[in-house]
Amino acid sequence: MRCNEATGLLLPAAAPGTPLVAVAPDWLCAAHTALTRPGPHAVPDTEGPLHGVIGGRRVAAYPSVRTDGSVAWWLVDDTDHQLVREALRVERERTAFLAKASNVLLSSLNLGRCMDVTAQLAAESLADAALAIAPPRGHRLPVVTCLRGGSPALSTQEGVDPDDVPGLGEALRGFPPVPSRWIDPATAPAWMVPPGFGPVGSIVITPLPGHGVAAGALILLRRTENAAFTDEEEVFARLFAARAGAAMSAARLYAEQTAITDVLMRELLPPTLHHISGVDFAGRYRPSADHERVGGDFYDVHPAAVEGEASLVSLGDVCGKGLEAAVLTGKIRNTLHALLPLADDHRRMLSLLNTALLNSHHTRFATLVLASAVRRGNMVDLKLTSGGHPSPLIIRSDGTVEEADTNGTLIGALPDITATTAEASLAPGESCVLYTDGITEAKGGPMGDALFGEGRLKRALTECAGMPAEGIAEHVQMLAAQWLGNRSHDDMAVVVISAPRTHHLSAVNGRTRGRFTA
Amino acid sequence: MTTHPQHLRLTTVDTEGSIRIGLQGDLDYDSADHLLNEVTAHLAARPALTDLHLHCAELDTVDSTGLSALLMISRRTSGAGVRLHLDARPERLDRLLHLTGTLDHFTALVPGGAVRSPATEESVAATRPNGPDGTT
Repeated sequence: MRCNEATGLLLPAAAPGTPLVAVAPDWLCAAHTALTRPGPHAVPDTEGPLHGVIGGRRVAAYPSVRTDGSVAWWLVDDTDHQLVREALRVERERTAFLAKASNVLLSSLNLGRCMDVTAQLAAESLADAALAIAPPRGHRLPVVTCLRGGSPALSTQEGVDPDDVPGLGEALRGFPPVPSRWIDPATAPAWMVPPGFGPVGSIVITPLPGHGVAAGALILLRRTENAAFTDEEEVFARLFAARAGAAMSAARLYAEQTAITDVLMRELLPPTLHHISGVDFAGRYRPSADHERVGGDFYDVHPAAVEGEASLVSLGDVCGKGLEAAVLTGKIRNTLHALLPLADDHRRMLSLLNTALLNSHHTRFATLVLASAVRRGNMVDLKLTSGGHPSPLIIRSDGTVEEADTNGTLIGALPDITATTAEASLAPGESCVLYTDGITEAKGGPMGDALFGEGRLKRALTECAGMPAEGIAEHVQMLAAQWLGNRSHDDMAVVVISAPRTHHLSAVNGRTRGRFTA
Repeated sequence: MTTHPQHLRLTTVDTEGSIRIGLQGDLDYDSADHLLNEVTAHLAARPALTDLHLHCAELDTVDSTGLSALLMISRRTSGAGVRLHLDARPERLDRLLHLTGTLDHFTALVPGGAVRSPATEESVAATRPNGPDGTT
């Protein structure tokens, strides 16, 4: 062989005249033999230059066949190039992992699922086992453990103090992570090590940062036979933890919001109505849309405290949607309940309610109708008062529909209100319908853009003469629903007060209220 | 739906001492804040303003939140000593104001009628002795 001076740096034994096999590594000799073999030979390398290791460095070898049949090997040191490529591959893998983690984590708003995914992803790509830990509740610490290749398992550690594990208490409070070399794997408590894991080689504890407060902590465990965590890996674990923490935090907020909505729903759902003191009541409520489940319409029936006095019905509509509307609805229902002793004087009741709701910060208001109903003989006497609300409609037994002559100011926005009370009597089989504008303003019909309207409602009620309260409420609800089809709509509420068709049992006692058959 | 909710469009014409805002489209849950912010900005920018005209001829649906915004505007104009006029009210708006018992409140604010100015704000505070004081 012949060689230049630089060859000496790479192959110290190389000197002119020595055979190639004596100085070059086997991979180069094999390639040289293949290339110099006489006859047609295969293209040596279709996948770029030949690579091999010489003296601990990576070298690319480029052959060029000369005219005299000898081969010149150009050896190029590409160690740095390879290192850069390797670093690039690692970074690409990590980015792909983070992107995958974000996708998987953000597709769920369930806290348990987020913890499972966090532990599983971490166990697959970052460590031999991973634990996702949620902030403690009392003395219980929710922990999801996952071994590499295993499936995540939730356990609740009772009576465990996170502060006993160096770095865990801090991580759960959202402090920056403690470097793993400060944590002695031997101090890991038994609950932290999954069964069958064996001795722990190294531990990383990193906070899962949430919105404002820590969403939990992530613990990564490696076995003794595997390399400890490098600084780079710890930084990467934190990048992953940031994503997992955001997802867990969002899931927790969502869960809290759902819980609040559920509590409010239970409090705000209208009561089931029935027969009270000889008067029939029926109510129907259809909230606007599922995603705003707490609506702005409400109704209540307060039975008389003393037999023979009037029961009070309230039905109303609060402006706005969602929680704001729900809070105002709750206030109104509570205030009205407290004002029940004054139920004889609707105007005063509304006036006090108005004062209670007035607020200098907003003009959120409600419109409502109060109806007092009391049985007198086989009639039902009504007092009806509107506070800026559509007037109640009375269905007479001959099918006539009358609008109660009451009007007043909406409640909760203006300092002074007016309201007039109408009185009416229902004969057996006659009914009074209270409704919210969700019914009359239902947009739909054959062309899809017409309002259901008062006229249509009145005509529909004409055909309800003599029907029981339940039947009328159901019918009105059904008509509005048909009119709407699948279109979006506001809350719809309807309450029907009816004088039942009865026969006076004069045998019991002819002069006092006596008893009635239903 | 075959109907398209019309976004509220505001056209402001500024003259000496008065501002006229033309309202076009729906004044509802989605747009009420837009109008309220616009008016509040004008009131803050023009302390010498005497009249605010809301031109309602091209106003479509006004829902309860829209009415709430009008009530808030009336409270703010009263507080600032500005007369609020709801001009060219369509029949539907009049019906809503009548039904909710607020027609008198809005029409009492036009010139010639008794301007309820600071009284409105004060009586709000007066009826709520425990309420936060500071006007909005």
